[in-house]
Amino acid sequence: MRSLSIVAEGPGRYISWGVVQISVANLTIIVAMVILFVLALVVPFPSGHGEEADQERRQK
Amino acid sequence: MTTSTGAKSAAETTDPGNWTNRLRGRVEGLVPPGQALPDRQPIYVASWIYVFGVLTLSALAVVILSGCVLAIGGVQWWHASSLGHYVNSVHLWSVELFFGFMVIHLWGKFWMAAWRGKRAMTWISGVLLFGISIGTSFTGFLSQTNFSAQWIAGEGKDGINSTGAGAFFNVLNPGQMLTWHVVLLPLVVVLIVLIHIIQVRRHGVVPPLDADLEG
Repeated sequence: MRSLSIVAEGPGRYISWGVVQISVANLTIIVAMVILFVLALVVPFPSGHGEEADQERRQK
Repeated sequence: MTTSTGAKSAAETTDPGNWTNRLRGRVEGLVPPGQALPDRQPIYVASWIYVFGVLTLSALAVVILSGCVLAIGGVQWWHASSLGHYVNSVHLWSVELFFGFMVIHLWGKFWMAAWRGKRAMTWISGVLLFGISIGTSFTGFLSQTNFSAQWIAGEGKDGINSTGAGAFFNVLNPGQMLTWHVVLLPLVVVLIVLIHIIQVRRHGVVPPLDADLEG
């Protein structure tokens, strides 16, 4: 019965822009991925690992 | 040659005609010494964008583990059991994360031209992996044993059959799609993942474009 209830939920919401049509759910996921991509580029990575940290330890 | 004590001579252990020796040499030469599981990386790897490859691998591990549990319960388990529904959801959402992480990994590698420095095979194996993962996901949606799977099969059959692949890849045959999904395609995915990782370990992680110009 669960599958029947899913079918009865009806179609999702869509955004139309000329020939482009995309569901709100898909657009949300794409926007979230782009935001995550940009954050991955700009958010500083915690230090303490890697060659730089090794050099710092040697200098101490 | 074997000595009286049974110990092998040096010449025998390095016999190039022995296929075990040749295979051992090939396996040992796959990655440079110490690079199979390195505990240090170049400084430019200290960026979140370099994390998405291993995040993709982590998601794939959850996909495979949850898929193994689903295989025990069977394809219809998730319709009748709350535990089966939970495991099915873990499988679905780990696949969603797998693709999300993989696409961000792809964006990052594309914009840093990750095929530089003899890394063409790393790039090509990644592209192959992306395509075959989509096919594996497709057969998973065909194995849901519900109206959604029927609809996807009905919509996809003409496209697949027009390529000639329908003779051995019939989307209207749920049993065949299930075996492609749980045996054949996962084997190919894991094999290409191994090739991809070996390529990364052989050639190292690609440096950023500015670091490459300076070096």
